[in-house]
Amino acid sequence: MEQYLTEMRNIEKKFSGVTALKNVSFSLKPGEVHVLLGENGAGKSTLMKILSGAYEPTSGEIVINGQSFDRLSPKLSQQMGISIIYQELSVINELSVQENIFLGRLLTKRKLGFTIVDKNRMNRETEQLLKDIGLHCGPQTQVDALRISEKQMVEIAKAVAFNSQIIIMDEPTSSLTEEEIDQLFTIIRRLKAAGKGIIYISHKLKEIKQIGDRVTVLKDGEYVGTHNVADVSIDKLITMMVGRELQDKYQSTTREHGQQGEVILEVKQMTRRDGYVKDISFELHQGEILGFSGLVASGRTETMEAIYGAVPLSRGEVWLHGRKLHIRNTYDALNSGIALVTENRRETGFFKNFSIRRNLSIAKQLRDSKLGGLYGLISTKQEKAISAEQIKAMQIKCASIEQAITELSGGNQQKVILGKWMAANSQVIIFDEPTKGIDVGTKSEIYKLMRILCEQGVGVILVSSEMPELLSVCDRILVYYEGHINGEYAIEDATEEKLVYSATVAKEDMQATA
Amino acid sequence: MNDKNVLLGEKVKTKKTFSDYWSKYSTVLIMVLMIIVFGILQPQAFMSAKNLVKIIEQSSITILLACGEFFAILLGGIDLSVGSTMALSGVVSSRLLEMGWSTWAAMLVGIVGLGLLLGAINGGLINLTNLHPFIITLGTQSIFRGLTVILADSRPVPATAFAKAFGGKLFGIVPTPILVALFVALALTYFTIKCKAGRNLYAIGGSKQAAWFAGINVKRHTMLAFMISGVCASLAGMVNIARLASAEPAAGTGYETFAIASAIIGGTSFFGGIGMIPKVVLGGLIIGIINNGINMVGLSSYYQQICMGSLIILAVTLDRFFGASSKKR
Repeated sequence: MEQYLTEMRNIEKKFSGVTALKNVSFSLKPGEVHVLLGENGAGKSTLMKILSGAYEPTSGEIVINGQSFDRLSPKLSQQMGISIIYQELSVINELSVQENIFLGRLLTKRKLGFTIVDKNRMNRETEQLLKDIGLHCGPQTQVDALRISEKQMVEIAKAVAFNSQIIIMDEPTSSLTEEEIDQLFTIIRRLKAAGKGIIYISHKLKEIKQIGDRVTVLKDGEYVGTHNVADVSIDKLITMMVGRELQDKYQSTTREHGQQGEVILEVKQMTRRDGYVKDISFELHQGEILGFSGLVASGRTETMEAIYGAVPLSRGEVWLHGRKLHIRNTYDALNSGIALVTENRRETGFFKNFSIRRNLSIAKQLRDSKLGGLYGLISTKQEKAISAEQIKAMQIKCASIEQAITELSGGNQQKVILGKWMAANSQVIIFDEPTKGIDVGTKSEIYKLMRILCEQGVGVILVSSEMPELLSVCDRILVYYEGHINGEYAIEDATEEKLVYSATVAKEDMQATA
Repeated sequence: MNDKNVLLGEKVKTKKTFSDYWSKYSTVLIMVLMIIVFGILQPQAFMSAKNLVKIIEQSSITILLACGEFFAILLGGIDLSVGSTMALSGVVSSRLLEMGWSTWAAMLVGIVGLGLLLGAINGGLINLTNLHPFIITLGTQSIFRGLTVILADSRPVPATAFAKAFGGKLFGIVPTPILVALFVALALTYFTIKCKAGRNLYAIGGSKQAAWFAGINVKRHTMLAFMISGVCASLAGMVNIARLASAEPAAGTGYETFAIASAIIGGTSFFGGIGMIPKVVLGGLIIGIINNGINMVGLSSYYQQICMGSLIILAVTLDRFFGASSKKR
């Protein structure tokens, strides 16, 4: 039998009754890169949080260096030689490279009976580490001055300094350039040669082929299989990742396929100043729900923010019903009839200090106002009328319109937000991850509402990371990859495999790998 | 649930908790307690009608400043420059009087010109730099004070014409400062309840980001809030020079503390988005009662500071435990 650095056996994890991981096993050999693959919510992060001690498994066994545990703590995990490098880097910008590397375990020496920090030794050791890893900066450089890829290298140096045998990297390339990725891979190969085991979480299938030795696929919290990367094709991996039964369909049944209504919204060559979105063009037709797929931060949300005027554009035009819009801020967007149901409901969707009535009325009030919302009086009578109408139309369950919105369930809060935009006669409603954290029952109610709006002639756009959601709700799906549209599918041709493929493999590479 | 009631917008009878009552009446309760305490200690001198009118008159400057300060805090910010703004507009108006301007013209420039201008400087700098209002108004507090002393030539500027014109009493009973404060408080109450701009300020205070994504022009409203604060402060400046018949360059020094204290004792959330003008007025009166009462009891004015300081901490702590915010946590 081979010697494993770690083995996780039959891990199960439940969050208040909901199963997040079911009977998952995973192992890591010295000197290998083991890729963990799966869609959003497949359970990769949960599994790794169990290994790093952040979560306790409900059942199962973790073996590290022959020692068996039924759970770990963050401290114990670190002592057992496990380091995790998160997607959101946890280096401290205000400190130097050296201070970051030795954070929380400064080297000390005794002098005149006092314990003091041994700066010289830390400097020497940091220098050696940086040289080993190939990061060209001094130990005293402030981390703030480094690029993201270099910060990541500091994290890796930290893991090496801990003498970690197991290094977990959570989507390490998501914010790196091609060149930086090459550099990262060089370091990974060096770590491999030193006998360390690396668990590599990524969505990018091309990379897996480049750097991975073995790959384990998870799907909906279940173990699908483990293969040698060399023996398995990208198509096979995609099939392993998806391949689940579709839920109910909410697509238009009355619409005749292939026959599209008039254009409601047209976006022409939109590019954002910050570079998150490059040259986006698309049309939204009457009677269709247009879906936007792609990985998180691939430019979907970023495009919607730009259409809504929340961020400045460097180039591009937005046309609504054949009229060119001049949107400089969110007030202009609202006034032109464009609405955005934001991704982050709690932070940007509603006003937690307002009642249901006030939350429902604010968009209408602003739209009827002038001077960017400064001018005009409030009519309580109108507010009550709006509330009554929208509570009925959206089927919002509440005790009273004077209730605080924070007392409602997530789904009902979302319906209030939707009602707010409908009260303002919005002509296009953009839904960004509208069902995040919402129970199944309310989810399907929201899908039905979207369909009803669509049939009333409102333009409906759905941005979602959940592929079953896109496939059951939308009539057409655009797929983003690194800031541009990488694929377009009519619902008849769309499959999860194709969506994943377009979201993870650049168009230029498609021929090569297909 | 009764559907009809929901649709008509009538309050469905829900259990009223202690915290509901507390968040509604705490400020009134504190004020009544204060009056009772001082009333017992000094039944004759404190509780006389004359003294009570005096308390309100003395409080009117604090109330005016607090009404403006309220809007800065409502946005989740703060305005530390209200005391300096008050002094600067007072000195400018008195200087204009000295130069032979008519009373009305000098006052108009002081209030409309200076108040709006200084407020717009605060709001503009906040919008331009995106810094916290604390930093900007800490800076302008010092700048405005410096300008005041320069313009006044480091001496009190006489303003006897103001005292003659506005130092009187309506019907021989109600002093003008009370009328000004009352008018401002009523106007701003109407503004916060009935005007869309007022409602939007609450929205921005609740969450700046949510307000932006709801289509509110956040910068324009920030500007408005600080301009209101500026105008309130310069009105306080006018009332002050009318009472003293001269404009002191050091007038209003430290008054921002009273203004902030009034707003907070009056239940305004320091995180923004929650509060109402009538309660802020009560907050201003409470501070007036403390100052007057401690005087009447015969303690030194240093005890006023201790008392006000304790009350700030107490009011907010009690609100934490019993008020509306206690439910959400």
